[in-house]
Amino acid sequence: MSLKVSRALERIVVETCEKAFPDEGCGLLIGPVPGAFDAPGREVAVDEARPLPNGWDASAKTNRYLIDPRELARIEAELSGSGRGVVGFFHSHPNAPAWPSPFDLMMAWPCLSYWIVRVDGGKTADSRSWQRTEDGRSFVEEAIFLEG
Amino acid sequence: MSVDIRLPTALRAFADKQEKITVEAKNVGEALDALFAKHDRLKAQLLSPDGKLRSFVNVYVNEDDARDKQGLATPVKDGDVVLIVPAIAGGATLAAESELTKAELIRYNRHLILPEVGPEGQKKLKNSSVLCVGAGGLGSPLALYLAAAGVGRIGIVDFDVVDESNLQRQIIHDTLSVGTSKLESAKKRLLALNPHIAVETHETKLSSANAVELFQRYDVIADGTDNFPTRYLVNDACVLTGKPNAYGSIFRFEGQLSVFAAKDGPCYRCLYPEPPPPGLVPSCAEGGVLGVLPGVIGTMQAVETIKLILGIGKPLVGRLMLYDALEQSWRTLKVKKNPACPVCGDHPTIAAPIDYEAFCGLKEKPANMIPEITVEELKAKLDKKEKFVLLDVREPHEYEIAKIAGSKLIPLGDLPQRVGELDKAVKLVVHCKMGGRSARAVQFLRAQGFDATNVAGGINDWSERIDPSVPTY
Repeated sequence: MSLKVSRALERIVVETCEKAFPDEGCGLLIGPVPGAFDAPGREVAVDEARPLPNGWDASAKTNRYLIDPRELARIEAELSGSGRGVVGFFHSHPNAPAWPSPFDLMMAWPCLSYWIVRVDGGKTADSRSWQRTEDGRSFVEEAIFLEG
Repeated sequence: MSVDIRLPTALRAFADKQEKITVEAKNVGEALDALFAKHDRLKAQLLSPDGKLRSFVNVYVNEDDARDKQGLATPVKDGDVVLIVPAIAGGATLAAESELTKAELIRYNRHLILPEVGPEGQKKLKNSSVLCVGAGGLGSPLALYLAAAGVGRIGIVDFDVVDESNLQRQIIHDTLSVGTSKLESAKKRLLALNPHIAVETHETKLSSANAVELFQRYDVIADGTDNFPTRYLVNDACVLTGKPNAYGSIFRFEGQLSVFAAKDGPCYRCLYPEPPPPGLVPSCAEGGVLGVLPGVIGTMQAVETIKLILGIGKPLVGRLMLYDALEQSWRTLKVKKNPACPVCGDHPTIAAPIDYEAFCGLKEKPANMIPEITVEELKAKLDKKEKFVLLDVREPHEYEIAKIAGSKLIPLGDLPQRVGELDKAVKLVVHCKMGGRSARAVQFLRAQGFDATNVAGGINDWSERIDPSVPTY
């Protein structure tokens, strides 16, 4: 199980998260949809990282993020039929471990990669990617392969 | 009305990769029902167990959120598009949750004042997870110490109930819990010891089908199993998931300890490429075990587990420690990684868990065709006064605890020397405690030309099903 991503795209993810500090930053990971997306060992190759505004209300942006469903629907429609799709999301945990929180688990969708960046005081300290199990009870960490 | 349902990328894998599914429906609820009728796996993803749409699922009809209209009753007409859109949200645990609470700071004081642990280390323990395979002799002290140390999430796999004969060593259980599930008993005890942790129980037999998925949910696996098939399964699943295995095993007065499948370290197969022939190494139930021995070894497994989580000291990787309680000695052997190891070597041939019962030769028994009878059949033979010798191959001290009237005792180890005492013209029915040693005796006797039959389940089955006045031990 793994997430393949170029160093240039990793920069976009990291910078988005660092710029958002002390709020959480977030965005989409886009790439070819794997043949067996739900397979526990599947590989995802990201070819685009698209930062999006954190839509959570101002009261809790430091520990919550929200992606506007209409925006997501629009992007899914744009990608429709191309073989590419939204294969995951990234978000940051300011001053907190890059492990999924109980709230992350409650809201998580299957198949997708959930890339979490730990940002301590504005600097990236850790970066891990996760996939929810089909039964929805936990996350499994996946390797991030940086290329190029 | 014919409407199109559009699925997000994440859900297409559950609907044969389709992004658009056309259904006949009058409203949104019907459209979803029609969708679930075609694609059953989608239902579990979108609906909660009580049949309501999960909170993170948005349904749009054309441009409008169905929640803003009439929810599932929102009508649809020909050509409408029903859009399922994930609400993507999440976020860090509130800092206060992952930090140590005041109560935890008090509880873990003796850790916090150790520079090697300190608040950072204690937080690592709090945010870590360990899976204990087995809630028995080794699992008892192991889980107790991990809970006391503040390991945040402890999983236990077991499917047994507490038996009175467990209590001589399985100190996580108590007399009141006899006859109840080991998992429930262990969970109760651990949470009573430390309410700040979470205990996850997995009431199942660890198998090739579930091990990998289960291991992925934990940081460290601690093997406290008592049989070879499960031991090899735990090893292989640890290697396959990249989880270190804090391993311990016990027999009579001796114990073994190591950390297998750590990064760049050897695995159990590097040490023991092949299991011993079936029956050669008796289980604790057959061979006995000093009650405090699992206390020593299980506690050492807890030490290694905590070191692995904290990243301190020198983990027991590449070293096998052998403990002898009678000599009161420890010996350390070096274990090298085997480049030809089929699971962790340079060219592994095992990419998924295999059939471990077969690997350990336990499925060959029927093929050898040892004739076997049940204790009921034995009882019938005795009642009919059939002519045969009932041979007991256990040890004399076991014979003293419990015996079947009229049996002749020749311990398995003495059988080759004393085989002359038996008459080839008379049929032999052979039993032991549980049927393992007697099966080997039958094999030996048949090779010598005797007409020997094994009693399945041994004297334990006899006392359970035929004569409760015979004690089980």
